[in-house]
Amino acid sequence: MAKKKTSWIVWLRRLTQTGFFLLFCYLFLQTVYHPINKAGRGITFFFNLDPLVALSSWLASHALVGAMLLSLVTLAVTFFCGRWFCGWVCPFGALHNFFTSLRGGRAKQKLEVGGYNQWQKAKYYLLVAFLVAALVGADVVGWLDPFSFFFRSLSTSIYPAINKALVALFTWIYNANPGVGPVRLTMVTEPIYGFLRKYFLAVEQPYYWGSMLIGVLFITTVVLNFFRPRFWCRYVCPLGALLGAVGKNPLVRLKKNEEKCNSCRLCLVDCQGGATPENPLEWKPSECFYCRNCESDCPAQAISFTVGHGGPDVRAQNDTALRTEAGEKAR
Amino acid sequence: MNPLSKWIGDFVHPPKEARLDLGRRAVLAAGLAGLGAKLLFGIDPQASKRSFNPALIRPPGALPEDEFLARCIRCGECMKVCPTNAIHPTSLEGGVEGVWTPILNMSIGYCDYECNLCSQVCPTHAIRQVDVPEKKKIKIGLAYIDKNRCLPWAYSKTCIVCEEHCPTPKKAIWFEEVEVLNIQGEKLTIKQPRVDPDLCIGCGICETKCPVKGQAAVRVTSVGETRNPENQILLSPDSFGEG
Repeated sequence: MAKKKTSWIVWLRRLTQTGFFLLFCYLFLQTVYHPINKAGRGITFFFNLDPLVALSSWLASHALVGAMLLSLVTLAVTFFCGRWFCGWVCPFGALHNFFTSLRGGRAKQKLEVGGYNQWQKAKYYLLVAFLVAALVGADVVGWLDPFSFFFRSLSTSIYPAINKALVALFTWIYNANPGVGPVRLTMVTEPIYGFLRKYFLAVEQPYYWGSMLIGVLFITTVVLNFFRPRFWCRYVCPLGALLGAVGKNPLVRLKKNEEKCNSCRLCLVDCQGGATPENPLEWKPSECFYCRNCESDCPAQAISFTVGHGGPDVRAQNDTALRTEAGEKAR
Repeated sequence: MNPLSKWIGDFVHPPKEARLDLGRRAVLAAGLAGLGAKLLFGIDPQASKRSFNPALIRPPGALPEDEFLARCIRCGECMKVCPTNAIHPTSLEGGVEGVWTPILNMSIGYCDYECNLCSQVCPTHAIRQVDVPEKKKIKIGLAYIDKNRCLPWAYSKTCIVCEEHCPTPKKAIWFEEVEVLNIQGEKLTIKQPRVDPDLCIGCGICETKCPVKGQAAVRVTSVGETRNPENQILLSPDSFGEG
């Protein structure tokens, strides 16, 4: 079967994901000294969007930083539109999405590991544990909050490692300076190095105690994507759990035209969250990132996302459709 | 029934796909795990406020330890922004509860006198926002001289590096000029550094710049920090009833 063209909405999603990921990286790089004694502007933006750290910090300390009220927007939109934040905004989710897309394997293999798993409930239990701990005064949610996890890993481990590697590479090229006659490699590399020096590299090589553990944990979360799609987002992320719990009955819902569906299960192959799109009666809004891969992958255009209350009507429709289909098959 | 009331109705009695089906017992167990974690954090000796880890030096503006832990989300913003690389993720210096919260390590960097960037970037104000004039008055710890390693004290060698770097308007490191014998038995006058605990803010530049390698001859510990009134080395005049 020829692969169906990826829908424009999936491309739009990839664009916003890339945009927010680059914004996160930009704000990360801006988190340095600016003359005179100024940190970058708006660098806590993603933390302000994060209702989990706001809630946990508020429960534990009974105080809330005003800017964190921005996270109420995230909550409100999630309440109506589901867990779209994980699929469209979260830069850590974008990273896992990217690495998930790198894994090889045929559709059949992906089907075997890509479906819903009971262990996806683990993140909700983690969330409950974190919130109860916060309620009694221990705010340790930052260990696994995705933005904290990502930023901490970048700042203490990944960025220093990349910084050191780049400086070593360009220094090596500069010293060796291979080339033919007057044409030298440094003619190309030195302008690149100059650019990196100005916009990317640290003024001085940073070093952090305990960065090894933080780095290994980070790389582990990345590698796990090759075993389960978006492992972190499905099984671990306590922010994803909070958004899943808030957006468990959204107004934007998956709708499937059972008359068009030929039960090929292609919708399941690239499902990021394990939300069982193949069966609208079982579709799990709390696990759905609204990535729209199922809709895009469906060769029969049987899946759509519709605004409005799915509720009993749609379920009844689906139910009828299922029965009709079953009836036709029986005949 | 209109869609809105259906929707509200679904919240009261969620349809199958809208239920998380977590199971009461598992949720209870998770809640107890959170509670248990707090109980275990609570019996760490540092929670008694009688025992302070001298190595646990927090950034200037950090709230008292229990309030600090209730707010810090371990995001590493302060670690990234610190221009001298002084702020590191805590391992176990602050107990298990404090893992990955910020800690200053003066063997790598020091707290710059004119800088308050960590307080600017903290998203939860666990490091409260302090302007530079206020920050300059905050003690994050106290330096002490290791007389067994300090060049003038231990080897009768001239060295004034710590005093030269000390940033406070009136230097917190001062010298006592004493007549000592060198290794050849000759008399010489030498300046021996001492720390004034009232002036020292614990910024640690003396430790970072100390020419004695391995372990610096002047080091900072958390004692005397402004944020924890219990963690003091000197009794205040009030303690003597002098008023």
